[in-house]
Amino acid sequence: MSDQTHMHVEHDIAPGDEEQHSVRERILGYVVGLGLALLLTATSFFIAGTNLVWQPSIPVALIVLAIAQMGVHLVFFLHITTGPDNTNNVLALAFGLLVVFLVVGGTVWIMAHLNQNMPPMDQIMQMPR
Amino acid sequence: MPAVPTVEATMLGKLDWSAIPLDQPIPLAAGGVVLLVILGVLAWVVVKGHLPYLWHEWITSVDHKRIGVMYILLASVMLLRGGSDAIMMRIQQAIAYQSQGYLPPEHYNQIFSAHGTIMIFFVAMPFVIGLMNLVVPLQLGVRDVAFPTLNSVGFWLTATGALLVNLSLVIGEFARTGWLAFPPLSELSYSPGVGVDYYAWSLQISGVGTLVAGINLVTTVLKLRTKGMNYLRMPMFCWTTLASNLLIVAAFPILTATLAMLLLDRYLGFHFFTNEAGGNVMMFMNLIWAWGHPEVYILVLPAFGVYSEVVSTFSSKPLFGYRSMVLATMAICIISFMVWLHHFFTMGAGPDVNAIFGIASMIIAVPTGVKIYNWLFTMYGGRIRFATPMLWSVGFMVTFIIGGLTGVLVAVPPADFMLHNSMFLVAHFHNVIIGGVLFAAFAGFEYWFPKAFGFRLDERWGKVGFWFTFVGFWVTFMPLYIAGMLGMTRRMQHYDVAEWRPWMLVAAFGMLLLTIGVLAQVTQIVVSIRNREALRDRTGDPWDGRSLEWATSSPPPVFNFAFDPDVRGEDAYWALKHHAKQQQLEDHSGPEYQDIEMPKNSPTGFVCAFFATVMGFALIWHIWWMVILGGVGAFATFVVFAWRDHDEYVIPAAEVERIDRINIEERRNLVSLAGTL
Amino acid sequence: MTMTATLGHAHADPHHIGRATEHPGPAPKRIVTAYGFWVFLLSDIVMFSCFFAAYAVLVDQTAGGPKGSEIFEQRNVAIETVCLLLSSFTCGMAGIAADVRNRLWFYLAMAVTCVLGLIFLAIEFKEFADLVARGYGPSRSAFLTAFFSLVGCHGLHVSAGVLWLLTMMAQVFAKGFRADVLRRMMCFALFWHALDIIWVGVFSVVYLLGGGA
Ligand code: HEM
Ligand SMILES: [Cu+2]
Repeated sequence: MSDQTHMHVEHDIAPGDEEQHSVRERILGYVVGLGLALLLTATSFFIAGTNLVWQPSIPVALIVLAIAQMGVHLVFFLHITTGPDNTNNVLALAFGLLVVFLVVGGTVWIMAHLNQNMPPMDQIMQMPR
Repeated sequence: MPAVPTVEATMLGKLDWSAIPLDQPIPLAAGGVVLLVILGVLAWVVVKGHLPYLWHEWITSVDHKRIGVMYILLASVMLLRGGSDAIMMRIQQAIAYQSQGYLPPEHYNQIFSAHGTIMIFFVAMPFVIGLMNLVVPLQLGVRDVAFPTLNSVGFWLTATGALLVNLSLVIGEFARTGWLAFPPLSELSYSPGVGVDYYAWSLQISGVGTLVAGINLVTTVLKLRTKGMNYLRMPMFCWTTLASNLLIVAAFPILTATLAMLLLDRYLGFHFFTNEAGGNVMMFMNLIWAWGHPEVYILVLPAFGVYSEVVSTFSSKPLFGYRSMVLATMAICIISFMVWLHHFFTMGAGPDVNAIFGIASMIIAVPTGVKIYNWLFTMYGGRIRFATPMLWSVGFMVTFIIGGLTGVLVAVPPADFMLHNSMFLVAHFHNVIIGGVLFAAFAGFEYWFPKAFGFRLDERWGKVGFWFTFVGFWVTFMPLYIAGMLGMTRRMQHYDVAEWRPWMLVAAFGMLLLTIGVLAQVTQIVVSIRNREALRDRTGDPWDGRSLEWATSSPPPVFNFAFDPDVRGEDAYWALKHHAKQQQLEDHSGPEYQDIEMPKNSPTGFVCAFFATVMGFALIWHIWWMVILGGVGAFATFVVFAWRDHDEYVIPAAEVERIDRINIEERRNLVSLAGTL
Repeated sequence: MTMTATLGHAHADPHHIGRATEHPGPAPKRIVTAYGFWVFLLSDIVMFSCFFAAYAVLVDQTAGGPKGSEIFEQRNVAIETVCLLLSSFTCGMAGIAADVRNRLWFYLAMAVTCVLGLIFLAIEFKEFADLVARGYGPSRSAFLTAFFSLVGCHGLHVSAGVLWLLTMMAQVFAKGFRADVLRRMMCFALFWHALDIIWVGVFSVVYLLGGGA
């Protein structure tokens, strides 16, 4: 049965696998990935320790750089791309990221408000009524 | 400076004779009875020579159907244990008016903690996971789950957790901190005993098992569907399985992390949730509920799936609004991650935070409501058969609506300030968990039992069981709503308010009815096994089913299907039957039978769980050499597994054909019968 | 055709949903395994996110103890980072070597990966040991609790990875590049790369954001 209606089988690709490439191209991919990652890392370390940029922008810059670097790793090392055969892998990733975002963001937000509304006893005593 | 440990302390950690609660007769007797029963069963098995059979056919089995059955068996046994706790608590509250009752506080606290822990983690979870394991691969038309051996590992780790919880009856004690072990009470300074450690390590170990099951089922649904089984042709139960297991893989790591933090506090003096050194108790509330709310939907989504299957089968109609049902399921899957704060409205978040989470909680009731309407419209105009599974489903609809409504009520922050941690809340969550999850577990049990074992359950005893449980539920839990509104808080060992007393007496009476209901179901199983020849289902399709699990024999062969089914639409098997009727089964020009490769049985799961038990026990009692032993053993088990050279065996084509022919013959009779109607 | 083989031509697809593409059937094992492992990794990342969240909440709770900027050594972190990045590269090379069944390159790349991982662990261990020796252990303050747990959790993962790596090498030595060994190798590579992603989060959030004055 299984061979009877043999249509062109279109499966997704395994996460971590690349579309067919020669060894040379694959190595090149890792080299590019490593180069970009090192570059972004170096930038991060540089920015964190420098006085040359406007100080309040540093945290934002660090976070942007970190996200960019994670993207580089995903594409060049884990080979998660936006190709059609990668849909399922990307969807899983999106769900995971959504949860990470909700948990971290929600926790920080909620905990900030709890601290604000339930300050230590000595601060409550000093509140204006 | 810590003193140099003695030899005994090195060998046995905190363990000594005082761990056996000789001064507390009740838990000791209970534990003793359980132990005797286990030993008795073991002895019987060995004497009768069933051990090889059990070992080869069940304990080492990697067959998803067997593992599913074992999950359900574990859940059923633990239901009896958790149920005895419940009976004890109801009796206590019935008599402890202006008196101490018969359970001292420290014991009462252990009982409600164990009850909640057991019911959620070792009854509800294994029951729904068991049903999903049993049914989903069949419904998808495939031979097994994605990772069969891992599946067995997952089951046995869950069993390890259950074992450790029960071990606490006889060696040491259980937590007195409620089913979620809130700090600072659960911190070392307030709970120095081993109770919280039993709690936390059992959940860590069984949590790994649950995570494994979740990964397995997600992968199975997404990657292992038979030909033509497009997403929008999957039976509803597969969709809810997908949603529920996505929630498992996303939420259980949160539980693992949170309990790990608590354990670090307790074992290594960390300061996550302590009162000192800047620890923050509220972070525990926050994290545990970030797992806890998704958890309730992990339980109830598969339940919704069961009802969808049952209602459509017994109304002889396709499910009404299939696509809206899919949407509602996935919506719940996402939104359930956005409401967790409603469990601690009263603990200091400001009006803006409370308002947003309150509204989100009410929104989640909308897709749930959509589902209720869908089931009602599925029944509307159908040819309804009120067999036992259908009774449970209708009972669910009536009951769950109340639970959902009171849920929306406590999701209104001002109302929750009055009702939080009252008996009203207790009534709410029992209303949704018993009326939603447990009823579904029973519906699914009755519905798929013939598939798993090849004979039906006795309908008469089933109905007796349903009516006693249904009425018993209402009589037990409606009074709790009232007591809650009269101001009674949860977890009270005794009380002095006269107005509450009558409601506690009514609830205790309800508990009696519930107990009779459970006994009736036990009787049902015994009676059915006795009469199994009369109840035999030869066709594989006792209920006139609609999805693929009914397309194979009961019980199905190891390989489930001789040929990969080729699906062309929704309600795959229903379509097949009609097609077959038209063709009068003339057509024999099937392709040749082929050899089938199936995964070999493996003791990996069992051995791994053995070492996990050793390790868990050693961690609880601080016996460090044994911890290392357990860890090394578990690792070695996996290496041995990975070193296997043959992980599959072949079922020859001739054997496949022989097995399949039997089923086809039986089924032909069925179709010709159906044709005469 | 037998009954189990044919399904539903008569009733096919009332909603015409399946018009577009027919599902081709179960995916090959390599895809199934890797996808399952991918899902596991995502759940692992969710677990890490809890430790990140805890760190964010507790970072200011120093209870009179040191702040991050007083104890972090940027230079060590930079070396650690370079080690991990290079090891990700060599791990990728090991994956390619396995795919083309070149034992020599496989062992070489894996060995380098292992050494880099061990260097990383050694530096981290030394950092931890120094802190504890100075009285800044995890019990000192909630901040240090969160710091040790987050960084230590990553470190434990790397240690597990090294153990897995050695097992992998032994397995290739004993069994050669069998299909199941190759599948495991793919999972290992995913794991190792994922740890790098976590580390990017760790050095950015903990050491760089918290290291500034
Ligand atoms: C219809 C949607 C639902 C809403 C709006 C809702 C809302 C709530 C709220 C606001 C609370 C906290 C009340 C308090 O602590 O004061 C709560 C508690 C609870 N709910 Fe629900 N709920 C819903 C459905 C469910 C379902 C389907 C389940 C389980 C299958 C469930 C299980 C629980 C449990 C176990 C608790 C109490 C946990 C504890 O404090 O020990 N709920 N619910
Ligand atoms: Cu909730």
